[in-house]
Amino acid sequence: MSTKVMVVDDSPFSRMMIIEALADSTCEVVGEADSLESLIETYNTCKPDIVTMDIAMPGADGFECSRELRLNDPKAKIILVSSMKDEETEAEAKRIGVLGYVQKPIDGETLLTVINNIMSPDSLFELLLNRGFETFKEVLAQNVTRMAKTPVQFAEVNSLDVEYTSQGITTIIGIIGKYSGSMIMDLSVETAEKIAEAILHRPSKNREEVLAMVAELANIIAGIACSMLNKKEKALALRVSPPSMFHGNNAEIVSPNVKIETVMAETDFGSIFLGVGFKKGSVLWM
Amino acid sequence: MDVNLINPILCAFGEIIPQIGFQTVQKKNVSLVGSTVSYDGVLINLSVVGSIKGVIMIGMDGESAKRFASKMMLGMEVNEFDKLAQSAVSEMGNMVCANACTQYASVGIEGLDISPPTLMIGQGGQATLPVPQTIVVTFLVDEIEVKLYVGLV
Repeated sequence: MSTKVMVVDDSPFSRMMIIEALADSTCEVVGEADSLESLIETYNTCKPDIVTMDIAMPGADGFECSRELRLNDPKAKIILVSSMKDEETEAEAKRIGVLGYVQKPIDGETLLTVINNIMSPDSLFELLLNRGFETFKEVLAQNVTRMAKTPVQFAEVNSLDVEYTSQGITTIIGIIGKYSGSMIMDLSVETAEKIAEAILHRPSKNREEVLAMVAELANIIAGIACSMLNKKEKALALRVSPPSMFHGNNAEIVSPNVKIETVMAETDFGSIFLGVGFKKGSVLWM
Repeated sequence: MDVNLINPILCAFGEIIPQIGFQTVQKKNVSLVGSTVSYDGVLINLSVVGSIKGVIMIGMDGESAKRFASKMMLGMEVNEFDKLAQSAVSEMGNMVCANACTQYASVGIEGLDISPPTLMIGQGGQATLPVPQTIVVTFLVDEIEVKLYVGLV
């Protein structure tokens, strides 16, 4: 199947050069735009897989166009194609979420390599998608069982497309590495109090003690799960952030940028919600 | 928390916000509080890992979040804080914190990375940051009140 490419450049000559460079390849140029004005409409009409973006354009420049495009479609895959290439422009491009950078004059082979790398399935990421969530589930079950002496059974796996409303205490741990992601753990105050009592062998003294137990449990689960995944594949280099806790109400939890796989762990003390998701953010610069 | 850690994130906020459709950014108030803060409305959580660790949160009340998203989407009407509006404000959080990482690097705090944003939406909630002290900065962004919570050590 061919990769659909849209070319954004104010210069008809430059557009022609890119189209020529992609001729006789696995890419098909499905749309062209010369400014911010025509960019979004053309993008939404021709639905390309990849957009090549010039930087210096009259009116809105390539950075502004890239920003608008990613607001229109956060999944838009953009490659900057420009004669400018220095630290500052690269840093700005990375900040915006541009995936690749190719310097003019265009070398067809280089452009194709960058496009193919962005489009090809990433085996490391596939591994994380296939094994990541299961690993977190295993670690949660083992550690809740070990610490609170309760069996854990899992209900059906879902994804956080439907909004999830907190049961009372939510812990969020950020995951950084080759790919970034999040682990969300959520349980009711009652369940947390019962687990704390089982671990401490006495009722908890106050809410702070309960929160500290939940934070530590989430920390242990995320830390061990990421270590296990790193052992399986060193290149993942996953690291975890300290936990943020949310409590005192039944807030809605939304993860707009990352698809979160979720499951309910059923214990003798109540349900523990577990959500884990990773984001592919490979940046390719040539 | 070292108060010197606040400047790069303030610079990042001041740099990004005008780029996404806003005219004015006014810093109204800075305070140092404990690890637990109250929130009403929307709270964007972004974790930070590296030579310093912790969390950066950006909060707005429900109406402000809708107005903020509307401005980001070039004035498009936002009656509900729906998926599109949620995506817009979380993208703002992402841009501010990604820029902050670059700003931290320029003052020698290198190798920071951020997690994807998670939104908490609700009334009367509390957030406990993984640090003993949190810096809260209140901004007026085109008359919309935005609170920035920084808990880094």
